[in-house]
Amino acid sequence: MAEESFLTDDFLGQLISVGEVDILVGVPTHNNAKTIRSIVETIQAGIVTFFPRERAAIINADGGSRDGTPELVVRAAIGDAKPGSKLYALRTLPSISTQYASSPANGTALRTILAAAELLRAKACAVISPESTHLTADWLTALLRPVYTETFDLVLPTYRRHRFDGILLTNLLYPMTRALYGLKIREPYALQFAFSGRLGSQFLAQNPWHEETARAGSEIQFTLAAIGGEYRIGQSFLGTKQHVERHSADLVPAMRQTVGALFSSMEPNFSSWDTKTGSQPIPTAGTEAEFTLEPLRVNRKRLREMFSTGVAELEPVFQSILSTSTLAELQSIARLEEVRFHYPADLWAKTVYEFAAAYHKSVISRDHIIQALAPLFRGRALTFLMENRNGSAADVENNIESLCLEFERMKPYLLEIWNGGE
Amino acid sequence: MPLEQDVLWYKRAIIYQAHVRTFHDSNGDGVGDFPGLDQKLDYLEELGIDTIWLMPFFPSPLRDDGYDIADYYSVHSSYGTLEDFKGFLDSAHKRRIRVIIEMVLNHTSDQHPWFQQSRSSQENPRRDWYVWSSTDTRYPEAGINFLDTELSNWAWDPVSKSYYWHRFFSHQPDLNYDNPAVREEMWTVMKFWLAMGVDGFRLDAVPFLVERDGTNCENLPETHAILKEFRRRLDEQFPGKMLLAEANQWPADLRPYFADGNEFHMAFHFPLMPRMFMGVKLEDRKPITEILQQTPEIPPSCQWCVFLRNHDELTLEMVTDIERDYMNDSYAQDKTMRLNRGIRRRLAPLLDNDRRRIELMNGMLMSLPGTPIIYYGDEIGMGDNINLGDRNGVRTPMQWSGGWNSGFSVAEPEKLYAPLIQDPVYGYAAVNVFSQKKTQHSLLNWMGRLIAVRKTTRAFGSGTIEFLYPANHRILAYVRQLGDEKILVVNNLSNAAQAVELDLRRYKGNILIEMFGKNIFPRVGEAPYLLTLGPYNFLWFRLRRV
Repeated sequence: MAEESFLTDDFLGQLISVGEVDILVGVPTHNNAKTIRSIVETIQAGIVTFFPRERAAIINADGGSRDGTPELVVRAAIGDAKPGSKLYALRTLPSISTQYASSPANGTALRTILAAAELLRAKACAVISPESTHLTADWLTALLRPVYTETFDLVLPTYRRHRFDGILLTNLLYPMTRALYGLKIREPYALQFAFSGRLGSQFLAQNPWHEETARAGSEIQFTLAAIGGEYRIGQSFLGTKQHVERHSADLVPAMRQTVGALFSSMEPNFSSWDTKTGSQPIPTAGTEAEFTLEPLRVNRKRLREMFSTGVAELEPVFQSILSTSTLAELQSIARLEEVRFHYPADLWAKTVYEFAAAYHKSVISRDHIIQALAPLFRGRALTFLMENRNGSAADVENNIESLCLEFERMKPYLLEIWNGGE
Repeated sequence: MPLEQDVLWYKRAIIYQAHVRTFHDSNGDGVGDFPGLDQKLDYLEELGIDTIWLMPFFPSPLRDDGYDIADYYSVHSSYGTLEDFKGFLDSAHKRRIRVIIEMVLNHTSDQHPWFQQSRSSQENPRRDWYVWSSTDTRYPEAGINFLDTELSNWAWDPVSKSYYWHRFFSHQPDLNYDNPAVREEMWTVMKFWLAMGVDGFRLDAVPFLVERDGTNCENLPETHAILKEFRRRLDEQFPGKMLLAEANQWPADLRPYFADGNEFHMAFHFPLMPRMFMGVKLEDRKPITEILQQTPEIPPSCQWCVFLRNHDELTLEMVTDIERDYMNDSYAQDKTMRLNRGIRRRLAPLLDNDRRRIELMNGMLMSLPGTPIIYYGDEIGMGDNINLGDRNGVRTPMQWSGGWNSGFSVAEPEKLYAPLIQDPVYGYAAVNVFSQKKTQHSLLNWMGRLIAVRKTTRAFGSGTIEFLYPANHRILAYVRQLGDEKILVVNNLSNAAQAVELDLRRYKGNILIEMFGKNIFPRVGEAPYLLTLGPYNFLWFRLRRV
């Protein structure tokens, strides 16, 4: 029986027309008509400015937009058939689009981009989020240049963030990934990154692309594949990442995509992390990370309430996930007044590791495990906010560093409970 | 049809550019001459060309390969006599080959008696035949053409203690076209050669004839008025003769040289040529289609002249800075290959002696709008010698055989006007007419077939062009049409095989007949027409309704 292709004939035809490229930029979209035009124009400016002689293409993998996003991408192509681009380009710069599904799925979008990169034999590829409203042409060279000219296989971004932006990243994803794999990767779950053709091909071939990763988490899987395959990884400072206000209801889906992916990656990558101790810096162009300190309104009371309510209401769930001592400590914290509220770093690391082990053992539904972590994360976020309320950028960085060291120190405990223990 | 009755001959011509000095030496003095050229007319007739454009052959100190003329009414003694020229001209016409000669209007040699008289005193009657000034600060907006050698357009003349104007080398003073006597004298020169039978002139450096304060002294209305007057007289007294403009300008700036069909018959399309090289290097049709999109319509009786290489450097005047850098890095990494704003190399070395690319470039030359010019020696893939100064590296003796002096001359090798190309790849032992004639698939024989196929249709010379824009940008495809005759041309600019889908719905029902092998291809329908082309492959199809 003929093997089924996940690329449509129409998309394949477009790829044949594009032909071999040196640089490929993938843009996964879903209803991004408001921003996509300026995103594509900025990408074009980056290519024309920094890679004027290279063969390049923009590939849009769309998850069923109904607002005309793919048409806007295709219309923006720089060519001779419809002259009128404001940019002067030495050569044609095609931008093509394919709709991989009627609903968005990050993993399938990435898979589509990787397949296009492989078919076009791209030497260096970048993925750019359509929501990157701070995107500048410089980002393209910052991400792609190390891959294209310096033999890096994966280049991840670092940003200037608000000190309270990305708390899930600074308090869980970064410290845990760093402790597991021994590398100081600031943005293991990046929405813009660059990679070599060989890494892309290897990931495309080896990743199982099951339903779960098709939906979410493929970006972190990609990073972990690079770590596991001992590919050359670097970081590039891109500048300011805008702070995006998130509704509290967004937290669980975000945790599913990131923490869920991180936890589920631990099983297949066990041999890559079980013996690692400490952590090493990775080559970084520009500063590792910066923080801005503008005042930000945070509803601390609500965070504490959600933590306390969660600890109380989910006690039966926690009993199957957490150790007795951890649960007792959490219950004790839940009873504290707001001014004395404190969820210490060591307890937080221990909590996360116990969740990871429970996830591994599937003590209950894995999705419930992730959901149950959400209220506890809110408690940890409250502590982080209070600890850094008046701190300088350096204080924030030191606070995160201390937490990372705590995760590293506690790693033997993770190994202890991974296959046994409590 | 008798030659003189075919007044639009230049639209269908295939021009061969040659220099008497470089072609064949009949008297063994080491320099090519008219009797020698005459002896090689059979070769040119066999190749299929129907027009020869000769570089300057007039008496000259030869400090600019003859573009520094010292006498407009005679032949340089090294090349023979006026009678020899007439003999050659008659022989060419007997073979239905027309002859275009150079007319250097803008300047003379500083050795020309006119200049010698002009500089001799302020009162001399010819004083006003050149552009003199007491200062070297007039016309500051005018650019310098030969940046590598000239610092100013003014040169100090110690004899007359004044500055004289020169837009090219300082030994080439510009004539003063504000002087009616100069205009009359130059028309007399043209009449002299036209009466002898020459079929047209390539008018050299025409944008620069007149100078005016506050301008860059190029393309001025006064210049156009002078050129129109020459054309009027030409049409009146010598109908069927042709004027070709050498004006290295952007297409929109060139358009006025055609006027309403009453100035030049033809003009070189300078900006197209570097973009053909760029398109092949980039593997992208964009540079080619863009410049042709910017090329204005010209009157029906007018024509562009297109070329790949000529006796000068591959000029990069009409490109952007980014494009110039790209061209230099791609085609002239060795900086000694660069001259002024160009690259002083021949076609074959520019294309790494890649037969597929040489064929593709010639295929485009023969099928894009315009009259094609083949530079002597490029039909056999001759090389160059970048160790010779100026542009002399692309003006070495024609390579006729692998024998003594490549069959160019029986002189002692040391007496040749320039050394032969002798390297193992391009040297005359490897690249010559004799051996290529004997090889069925040689470049020379392939060029002959290409020319023959081009001549089977008038659509290439006189037809319209409509670009198809297939999604595959490595494919340059267009339809040339003249009346009911339609030719589809598909060029693969890439070094890899390509698939392309062409939208040919407006030709639905036609079959495609490949013009070289005459094979039939499937009928055009509603669906996109799928073609696959090998690396640097090109296909010409006649569209025919059956």
